[in-house]
Amino acid sequence: MALTRQGRRSGRPGVRAALVFLIPLAVFYGTFYLYSFWFLISTSFLKTDITQSNSTFVGLQNYELVLSHDLFWTALFNTFAFSIVAIIAGLTIAFFLAVVLATRPRGSRFLYAIFLLPSLMPMSLVASVFAVMLESRFGFVNEGLRAIGLGGLAQRWLVDPTLAWGSVAMIFVYVIGLPIMYYTADLATMNVSLIEAAVVDGAGARQLLRFILYPALSGARRTIMTAVPLMGFRAFEIVFLSTGGGPAGRTEIAGTYLYTFATSGTNVGYVSAASVIVLAIALLIAILQLHRQHRADRRAAQ
Amino acid sequence: MKLLVARRSDAILLGVMLFVMAGLWMVPIISALNRSLVFNGTDNYVKILTEPTAGVTIYQTYLNSSIIAAGHAFLVVTVSSLAGFAFSKLWLPGMNWLYYVVVVCLAVPATAVIVPLFHTLKSLGLLDSYWAVILPETALTLPFGVLLMRNYFDSLPNDYMEAAMIDGASIRQVFRFVYLPMARPAAINLGVLCVMWSFQDFLLPLLFITKPELTTASMAVSTFKQYLSFTPDNIGKYNASLVLLAIPALILVIAGQRFIRQGLTSGGIKE
Repeated sequence: MALTRQGRRSGRPGVRAALVFLIPLAVFYGTFYLYSFWFLISTSFLKTDITQSNSTFVGLQNYELVLSHDLFWTALFNTFAFSIVAIIAGLTIAFFLAVVLATRPRGSRFLYAIFLLPSLMPMSLVASVFAVMLESRFGFVNEGLRAIGLGGLAQRWLVDPTLAWGSVAMIFVYVIGLPIMYYTADLATMNVSLIEAAVVDGAGARQLLRFILYPALSGARRTIMTAVPLMGFRAFEIVFLSTGGGPAGRTEIAGTYLYTFATSGTNVGYVSAASVIVLAIALLIAILQLHRQHRADRRAAQ
Repeated sequence: MKLLVARRSDAILLGVMLFVMAGLWMVPIISALNRSLVFNGTDNYVKILTEPTAGVTIYQTYLNSSIIAAGHAFLVVTVSSLAGFAFSKLWLPGMNWLYYVVVVCLAVPATAVIVPLFHTLKSLGLLDSYWAVILPETALTLPFGVLLMRNYFDSLPNDYMEAAMIDGASIRQVFRFVYLPMARPAAINLGVLCVMWSFQDFLLPLLFITKPELTTASMAVSTFKQYLSFTPDNIGKYNASLVLLAIPALILVIAGQRFIRQGLTSGGIKE
């Protein structure tokens, strides 16, 4: 077995074995990532339809069109805004729920299920349930309001421009299970003696939350702030099945925007340019996060 | 943690807040259950369970989702174990750099690659088959899989490698008989997560499957909706179908919750 110099020094064997183990991964990455990126970049300079039989080179025109489309900017804005809603809910509501549930109140197993399970269900299902629940004529919410004599409060939850945005944001808050899981995992490894000492000194729940638990759970907090920002880019189903991006593009996100143009199939060059921009943004966020994490790891190792 | 509610007033206040929030979180669940019984009562369920909806029975959608989930889980676990092992225990020039390139693809949203995926699957002749969902799903899960497996292999000592090599074992044997068995917990976590994500996947089946008999459970929420349209009579049936479509995912998540929790909290994000 030929060991390379570097390999021998670190006790790691050589190049050939590494290549063999990486072949299956390379096949998948080549077919689905590299080809896709190459396709999108090269097509983004063309004006072409789905069959690509009739293409003309148009330079940066597609990019100009995308960047001058107001709806594209709305979609990007909403992608980040909904992510921020999810992060805020994660840092506040999930923090509170995880801590209170960790006190093991009566029925805590059932309560964990209520808060965790919806997040592990298909998002398409959750969004569909919200859509029928908020439907204005026969939806559970409006019928419920009418039944208790508050019919005046019945609203067109998914159709009214302002309410629709709030309704979608509500779904992002509803799927809060992951942050709860991170906090719960962090709580399980926490040093309890701090809390004991604080209680002996007369601290109440509010002081414990504020001065002991909040600082102690910084690990989970970091994880949430790293894991959730990209959520907006993946939340296609949430918007697609509740408002469909409407009314008039008010709740459009990057995913629904790209889906609409990709499936209408008019100018594939246009979709490709939009996809390249969205991909660049998502990848940039990921690179910045990896970079930060890498630095933090190095600092921890020293 | 009991100490948090050492004071009685705190216990009551927190208890009330928890109770209110649990009530709010249950509204969608109650809504689906309540609406599923409107107009025709339990007949809504009987109809969905006995008659095909939009050209497919509900059992077939369960089966389709399961087949896709199994294929997806098998491929991701296999490819990620091999690659994770290589990234952790083997050496190649630029290996770390390559690893970051692989992991950064975690950020690629499926919606951004719809058109190229369509082209690739079409030229491979795979459209409208289970593979049209399994293969792109695998590609999209692989960055996470590699991350999880490499982290796990990193936690296993390198000593076994050297010891086995001195005894004349090949790298393939060291992997197969030493490290892979030790990595079983991580592989199981990853496999269960893959099954769960497969059951959640909506976009890929929606795009690449048009044959009604290949409909998956998660995409049925949309095909059933178009088929049942919003007449009062159908609202009950549609809600009943939503409840029934939740069942396989629910069973899976409850049965595999330990693995899902471990996979998502310990393995995924490196602390």
